[in-house]
Amino acid sequence: MSDDGANLVRRRVLTAVTSAVGAVGAVGVAVPFVGSWNPSERAKAAGAPVEINISRIEPGQMVTFEWRGKPIYVVRRTQKVLDDLAKMEPLLRDPSSEKSVQPDYVDPKFRSQKDEFLVLLGLCTHLGCAPGYQPKVGSVQISGGEWLGGFFCKCHGSKFDLAGRVLQGVPAPINLEVPPHKYLSDSVILVGVDQEA
Amino acid sequence: MNGLLSWIDARLPVVRAWDTHMGKYYAPKNFNFWYFFGVLSILVLVNQLLTGIFLTMHYEPSVEGAFASVEYIMRDVPYGWLLRYMHSTGASAFFVVVYLHMFRGLMYGSYKAPRELVWIFGMLIYLVLMAEAFMGYVLPWGQMSYWGAQVIVNLFGAIPVIGEDLVQWIRGDYLISGATLSRFFALHVVAMPIVLLGLVVMHILALHEVGSNNPDGIDIKKNKDENGIPKDGVPFHPFYTVHDLVGITVFLFVFCAIIFFAPEMGGYFLEFANFEVANGLKTPEHIAPVWYFTPFYAILRAVTIDIGPLNSKFLGFVAMGAAIAILFVLPWLDRSPVRSMRYKGWFSRVALIAFAAVFVILGYLGVKESTPGRTILSQVCSVLYFAYFLGMPFWTSREKCQPVPERVQQKGLSKALVFGGLALFAVLVVVPIKAVAAGGAACGSVPCEHFHADFDDKASLQRGAQTFVNYCMGCHSIQYSRFGRVADDLEIPRDVMREQLIFGDEKIGDLMVSSMDPVKSKAWFGAMPPDLSLVSRSRNPDWLLTYFLTFYKDESRPTGVNNKVFANVGMPHALLELQGLQECAPGPKYDDHGHVIRNAVGELGEIDPCGSLVVGNIKGTMSPSEYRAAMVDLVNFIEYVGEPIADKRQTIGIYVLLFLMLLFVCVWFLNREYWRDIH
Ligand code: HEC
Repeated sequence: MSDDGANLVRRRVLTAVTSAVGAVGAVGVAVPFVGSWNPSERAKAAGAPVEINISRIEPGQMVTFEWRGKPIYVVRRTQKVLDDLAKMEPLLRDPSSEKSVQPDYVDPKFRSQKDEFLVLLGLCTHLGCAPGYQPKVGSVQISGGEWLGGFFCKCHGSKFDLAGRVLQGVPAPINLEVPPHKYLSDSVILVGVDQEA
Repeated sequence: MNGLLSWIDARLPVVRAWDTHMGKYYAPKNFNFWYFFGVLSILVLVNQLLTGIFLTMHYEPSVEGAFASVEYIMRDVPYGWLLRYMHSTGASAFFVVVYLHMFRGLMYGSYKAPRELVWIFGMLIYLVLMAEAFMGYVLPWGQMSYWGAQVIVNLFGAIPVIGEDLVQWIRGDYLISGATLSRFFALHVVAMPIVLLGLVVMHILALHEVGSNNPDGIDIKKNKDENGIPKDGVPFHPFYTVHDLVGITVFLFVFCAIIFFAPEMGGYFLEFANFEVANGLKTPEHIAPVWYFTPFYAILRAVTIDIGPLNSKFLGFVAMGAAIAILFVLPWLDRSPVRSMRYKGWFSRVALIAFAAVFVILGYLGVKESTPGRTILSQVCSVLYFAYFLGMPFWTSREKCQPVPERVQQKGLSKALVFGGLALFAVLVVVPIKAVAAGGAACGSVPCEHFHADFDDKASLQRGAQTFVNYCMGCHSIQYSRFGRVADDLEIPRDVMREQLIFGDEKIGDLMVSSMDPVKSKAWFGAMPPDLSLVSRSRNPDWLLTYFLTFYKDESRPTGVNNKVFANVGMPHALLELQGLQECAPGPKYDDHGHVIRNAVGELGEIDPCGSLVVGNIKGTMSPSEYRAAMVDLVNFIEYVGEPIADKRQTIGIYVLLFLMLLFVCVWFLNREYWRDIH
């Protein structure tokens, strides 16, 4: 066993090279293990976009659909509701949806593609309960104004207006999410796919 | 960093542990090729644990769900196919390395004092490994899983008095059922691995206590230098770590070659019949355990006589048990003053080669169906198997050994002797097997059509898919395939797929399930149209092509047709419209291998009234050659459906093997650098 310099340097270089190649191999081995946690084809098929028919929804009514196992709220808003939305703005946290999640093809205030139909992901942005639909004026107590209809989450008391925008003084930080959706016709929406420009 | 290390070391002896087992563990410097298999079995163990954990995340241990969940892993889970092949190939690789590791022990006397406990822990590992592998094989719930479990569990019924109750207790039911499956699952994924790991730790602790043996069988601790370090030893780390890396890389190359290019290994690693879901009412034509059990299975079957009140079933069970048990006492059977074959006498050397040959022959016989010739051969081999152990005390205490040198040698027996031994082994294995060879051809009594899959020919696959959907999906499902995946793999645009190949209101992501009600179809055809997702793997493509080409008119059948390779088939001629209806014509008779029977002077022997098929009165829309081409496309498609990933698997495999070659170059030079001054 000689320990002359050249020998040691060669050992170090070879060890470094082998380690580097081995590290690449380790990453390669990790790929199938890590990759196998991604959604399977079955999950993808179950989570495929769903078509929902909105033609039978009455004005003022909300209907819940399911997409990827999550509730999708569709509200058919009356003209009065749309007019009232502006009145809520002083009470809101993020009235023009700057911090909130929605596709860029929805209006930041009405939060919809077509004013009449509001499409929301029915999960509170606080901790994921499903907020209830409270359309009646005055049906929920709020400070500093009058409830003009909206969503109320019983879990922790978060409140949202009829555009899914969050009120001040509640635990939910941002507005209810708007899922990607696309109008296939006037009466059919495909949830899970973005509207093309 | 050093501060942290000493902080930990004051509380947990990590440095001491490292020194005891790696940094200051002195291993003899003359390890050869045979000494790779210990570390390789640890590598495979780690592979089994890791892939096993990930498979458990997707597998479903229920009678209804097990088989489907395995196909779900193979098709729907990202990289699930790779995890499964790593696990299934790993199981066989485990036994390959363990058998070679054990053979090394036999060769160099590694079981002899003071290493008896090392050997016994090793044997326990082997025993647990067999239980682990057996239970694991039940989990996919295919035909072999089921019938293998049936046969092995019933073995315990041979035990007098308590046998039947014991069998029922093991099954937890009156038949192999969901109760059996879920207890095997629990044992396979939790209990056995814990025991196995514990035993591996004991095996290594016991080994490191007494030190490693070596090809010379010399105790290196007898020759120490002034620092108390064995003169013939080198620290395990770094010398054997870099050395083992070479072996590991070569092993990985072979291992990956199998995973990516031959995961079924010709039916030895994944048996063909196991691609068919378990069916308690239909025994496969030929049941053989997986190859690693077959030597003992052959011994079991070899016992055909009763002795007094003891019947052959019980005696077979005892013989099989004894064949394993006798290995445990090996350390006390070998009375030789020397350990290694290098210094043992001639008789020991030849006996070991003969024993290895006997073991391999038994393994071969266990795979094959028994014939009278094979039964005799297995009886002879079983006797020799036991004779090796029972005779050992006599010849080892009498034969003349050579003097053992003081210090380890770099050179073993001369090349001539080693190759002579290998040749002797080969002859001993091949000659008896040749003498009892026999067996049917894949297509029974007609010559097989030959088929080569071509997954690059997308047009062919598309035509095949079209034929399948139009003519077969009325009755058959391919329920593990999804429309969308087929469309993508075959390069069919999804909207075209939706319009032309999906008839019902199924969605593109759905499984390709036929709308036929299985209960009604059973009433109509006398048999359920089986799911065809895996038929190309349980049968084979040659068989399929022959099957589609050899429907012929047979008024005696309810469907009006019969088939040359699938006699009395329940399926009507679904492709009548294309092919027309062939009729029988006189032709040559074929033997079981699909060869024409000829008499001594080479003339045709008997004439079979249905020895050939001709175009009959009912003509199809296709000419015979067009029809044949359509069937080639159809089989190509069915072959694709059997394993949709096959094409991609091989592509990935090429990159993996190239990478391993690069790694090999690195570890080769690294190893050479460390060892250049040792020898
Ligand atoms: C009218 C219903 C029907 C149609 C259509 C049909 N089959 Fe069958 N098929 C059956 C039945 C029933 C069996 C079971 C035969 C038996 O076990 O005796 C069967 C058996 C088979 C088998 C043998 C499976 C095995 O391993 O035992 C294959 C392969 C097969 N069919 C392929 C096809 C193909 C390919 C098509 C389309 C060209 C097709 N079948 C169309 C009813 C049908």
